Formats: sequence, C-alpha cells, structure tokens
Amino acid sequence: MVYQPAAGARDLLPLDVAQKRWIEDKLQQVFHRWGYHRIITSTLERMDTLMAGEAIQRQMVIQLQNSEDEELGLRPELTASIARAVVTRMANLRHPQRLYYNANVFRRIWENRHNRQQEFYQAGVELLGVGGLLANAEVLLLAGNCLTALGLQDWHLILGEAGITRSLLDAFPINLRAKVRSAIAHLDRITIDTLPLTDELRERARIMLDLRGNSADVLQKVSSLNLDAEQQEAVNNLKSLVELLESGGKFPIILDLSLIQTIDYYTGLVFEIVNNTDSQARVLGRGGRYDQLLGLYHPQGENIPGIGFVLNIEDLYQVLLSTQQLPQETPASDWLVVPENPAAHSAAFAYAQKLRESPDLVRVELDLGSTDRATIKQYARDRSIAQIAWIKADGSPIIEKVSQ
Amino acid sequence: MLTVALPKGELLKNSIRLLQSVGLDFSAFLDSGNRQLQITDASGTAKGLLVRGQDVPVYVEYGQAQIGIIGYDVLREKQPQVAHLVDLQFGYCRMSVAVKASSPYKSPLDLPAHSRVASKYVNSAREFFQGLDLPVEIVPLYGSVELGPITGMSEAIVDIVSTGRTLKENGLVEITTLYESTARLIAHPLSYRLNTGNLHQLVEQLREGALTKV
Repeated sequence: MVYQPAAGARDLLPLDVAQKRWIEDKLQQVFHRWGYHRIITSTLERMDTLMAGEAIQRQMVIQLQNSEDEELGLRPELTASIARAVVTRMANLRHPQRLYYNANVFRRIWENRHNRQQEFYQAGVELLGVGGLLANAEVLLLAGNCLTALGLQDWHLILGEAGITRSLLDAFPINLRAKVRSAIAHLDRITIDTLPLTDELRERARIMLDLRGNSADVLQKVSSLNLDAEQQEAVNNLKSLVELLESGGKFPIILDLSLIQTIDYYTGLVFEIVNNTDSQARVLGRGGRYDQLLGLYHPQGENIPGIGFVLNIEDLYQVLLSTQQLPQETPASDWLVVPENPAAHSAAFAYAQKLRESPDLVRVELDLGSTDRATIKQYARDRSIAQIAWIKADGSPIIEKVSQ
Repeated sequence: MLTVALPKGELLKNSIRLLQSVGLDFSAFLDSGNRQLQITDASGTAKGLLVRGQDVPVYVEYGQAQIGIIGYDVLREKQPQVAHLVDLQFGYCRMSVAVKASSPYKSPLDLPAHSRVASKYVNSAREFFQGLDLPVEIVPLYGSVELGPITGMSEAIVDIVSTGRTLKENGLVEITTLYESTARLIAHPLSYRLNTGNLHQLVEQLREGALTKV
C-alpha cells in the first residue's frame, strides 16, 4: 500500500524548506530590527483557551482528547496562546511587550472543500501593554516594513476602525442592528436595500457600506454622518494616524470603515494586508487592536491593551513565487572530499572537518565510495559542487576546480 | 482587466443585454456557433467567462472573476463568500415544494415524518424542513426531479418553478414556496474593497441599468 499524508496536510521537501526559510528569515530580521522578541507557545491548547475570544468556533479546531478527558485542540492561531501566556507567566514584566512568532497553525475545514489545506504557517507580532497613536503607527509601519523587506510591490493596507464603525451602527434600531452590521461586514447591499429601515437610516447604511477609498475622501464622508463628540474624537485620532503613516512617504492605505467583523473581537483598528496584481487580489495577512482580549485571560480580569498582525506564509509564498526572488534550488555544497583509497578514509574526514571549521559557512560533503574518477566528477558537476579535494593516504590533498 | 462570470442558460440573454447597456459586449456568447468559453469585449476593457450557473459564484469567490451574475437560488443554496450588490430583477422564479396532484398532501406539514424529498437544492430543502421540525430524507438528484414523485421514489420535491408548466405537464402541484429568486450581481469582496479596475463605477452603472429595466 501507499502511505499518504493526512487529507489537507503536506510535506515540505528541502527546496520548499529553503523557500519558506527565505521568507521567514526576511521577516525575522525585520522583527528583530524593531526590537521584537520571539515567543514559542504550545501547539496544543485547551479548547476553552482557544475559544475565549469568541473569534474561534469549535468547528474550526482540530480537536484532541488526552487521558484526563480535557478538551484540547491544535491552535488555529497564536494570539489566544500569547494572551494566555503573557497575563500569567509574564505578568510581572514591564510593558510594553514586543513579541513575535513564527509557527504552524491548524484549521479544520468543515465546509465542503475537498482536501483543502489544514496546516498553515504564520508569522506575526503582538505589541502588548500600550494603546494609542504611536503603538498603532508602529505596528502598521512594521507591517509595511515586512512587505518591503520581501520586495513586494503591489500591496495595500485596507484600514478600518471597528470602534467607529460600531458606534455608527448605534443609530440603528436594536432589533435590526446585528443584521445591518452583518450586511455591511459581508458587503451585502441587497439586504440593506430590503431591510425595513427608514429612508434616512437606509441611506446611512448605504454610505457605511461604501465608506472606503483614499483617506481624505473617507474622513470627509464620515464627518457628514452627524458625529457626536466621542465619535468625532475617534475620527480625529484616525486622521492623525493616517497623517503620521503617510508623512514618511508612500504608504498605500485604503481607508475602509465598512471593514468590521460580526463579533466584537477587535476594539479599534482593524486591517487587512492585501496584494493586488493584475490577475488576483489576495489577503496576505490581517490584524487589529484588541483591548478587551487579555482581560479575558487575566486572573483578575485586568485589561491590557494589545495590537498585532499575522502574515500567512503560504500566501506570501504564492505571491513571491511569480517574482523569481525565492531560491530556485537548494544550496550546492562548496566542496566534495574524496578519499583516494581506504587508507585515506580517516584523513578525508579530518580534511573535510578542517574545511567546515571556516568562520563563514562552508558546505562540505564526503564521497561515499564511488569507484572511478569520471563518475565522481560527473556527480560534482551535476550537483554544482565547485571544488573536489582528492585526499591521499598521507593526508595530502589535490584540489581540483570543477568546470560547471 | 475586469472579468465577468456569466451563467449559461436562462439568465444569459438578459445578463448580456444588461452588460451591453453599460458598454460591455459579450453577445458573441449567444451565437449558436460559439464554442468559446472566454471572450474579451470589443472595447477591450473586460473579459467574459461563460460557465455553468452553479459555478458563477465559485469563480467570483476565488477572485478569478471580479463580478458575476447568478440567481439568488444558487447563492442561497451554496452560501458563497461573495458580495451581493444588486437585485437585477430579471430571471424571476421561486423555490417550491411540489407533490403529485393526486396525493392527499395540501401543505408540507401533511407529509408523513421520514418521507423522502427529492431535490437538486439539498441545502435549501434541508433548511426548510428543519425549520418545520419535520424529519425527512433528502434525496439528491441532478435533474428531472419531477420523476421522484412520478416513479414513487419520493413523496415530494423541492425545485425551482418559473412558469409552472413542467410541474403541470408531469401531474405535480406546488404546495408551498420556500423563497423567490431573481438574478443578482455579485462581486469578489476583496476586489470590491480594492476597487480593482474601477469596479465600483461599473457596479453603479449596472445598478442604474437594472433600474431602468433590461
């Protein structure tokens, strides 16, 4: 029989790994340059931890059971785990905490999607303990820095503010509010057109559904919606943020106040990082501010502000694949060390080791008993190995450059 | 370039006429000799994909087409993650429960528990009978659903009715309507947010075009 990977799972062969590492190394360098530290949390979590924020439903999680009958699941995302770890294990540390992660996550596919992927790789950051303009700007600029470090050109940041959008929804009668919110979240204009709303409220809902575009237009349009003092302040804060982001040069923002979820997970900024090439628009990552989430995990219910984002490695990979930037093959060895006869075995290992101990990375492989020189040279050419060291029994090498 | 997914069948003619009214000409799809599945409109501003109705929301959900035209019945059945933008008014039909005219059933609740209901629209059928709290067995079929009751395989069917002629000719009667359906303009949500190829303007033109009657 043929043993196959589980449905929706895959193996990464050496070239896949080299390409994935290329992406992750670039991101990690950016995270380090911004002063973020890596956190590694457990792949397994208790179901109640995963679902506390209400963004994750049971059917999205691949569940497991241990001998104590605890309900466990494979993490579908990292923020819940980090929130749990930070409020308990890191409770006495000073804020802000700048954390990043690079990990696999699992999503159960319950819809009728045949063999859709179930294991994904994600890299992201969480900036915990500080709210406000500068923290928001830092995380968005950091996201932009990640994309430029990867050499991506056609990316946009779709930026919303869940707090503002939610308060704009307060004008709708309570029995229809959830429907209007869901229609706006899903861009369902037909529902807006048919709900039993007054003309004035219907117009408001229509404006909200299309409250997007360049920042100046959107900020002006939202100001036409009879804002109260609190809403006006929130809009002013958003304006300051956009100005700050755009002051440093080109930062491709699409302001979109219809960008909201149907649950109250994000409390302020909410954003999607998207790539838009001719043939395909694709979400590369998403994030937002969640100032109520850590309180759910805190033993005393203390709220700690937080903001973060996640980038999907597979989606980045798909976009980068077409740009020819990713490594096209696994790195070749620099040296092939060949013992000329059995008496030279020990000397060959010793010589290879000496080459490996160079301060720079030198890749050295040993010939494992080929019989004739022509085969060995052909092997070196096939593998793009630059040099062969023929080792005699007395340990003396003869070095031969391989013409490629 | 924008790509429009168009459904083969009933809705095609009106869809093409509507797109013509905003300057996009895909009338070559109506040519009886046409075998092409993808054509670029004469002005070179958009591409049309000719696909089976059920597949329109698939191309739009995955973003290969930025917009598409498809009946509400398909959207309701498949629940794709697409933006529902305009009720285009044409292509009226209704999703109904029908039984043999000679049967004693006057309403769905008259159906005995665990009876069989044949349908192409298994999700709509399941949802409806669950709403009634009536346990039935849904038998999925791919066409000629009317044969279910005629052959005695099922007590009832859930199917699209537009004029009612097919039902009548096969000795069936409607006993209730689940919902009514018309053609809808749908869009890939992310492309709509990004306003790819000035999509928003095209949508508003189509909205105007639909209002002024196709």
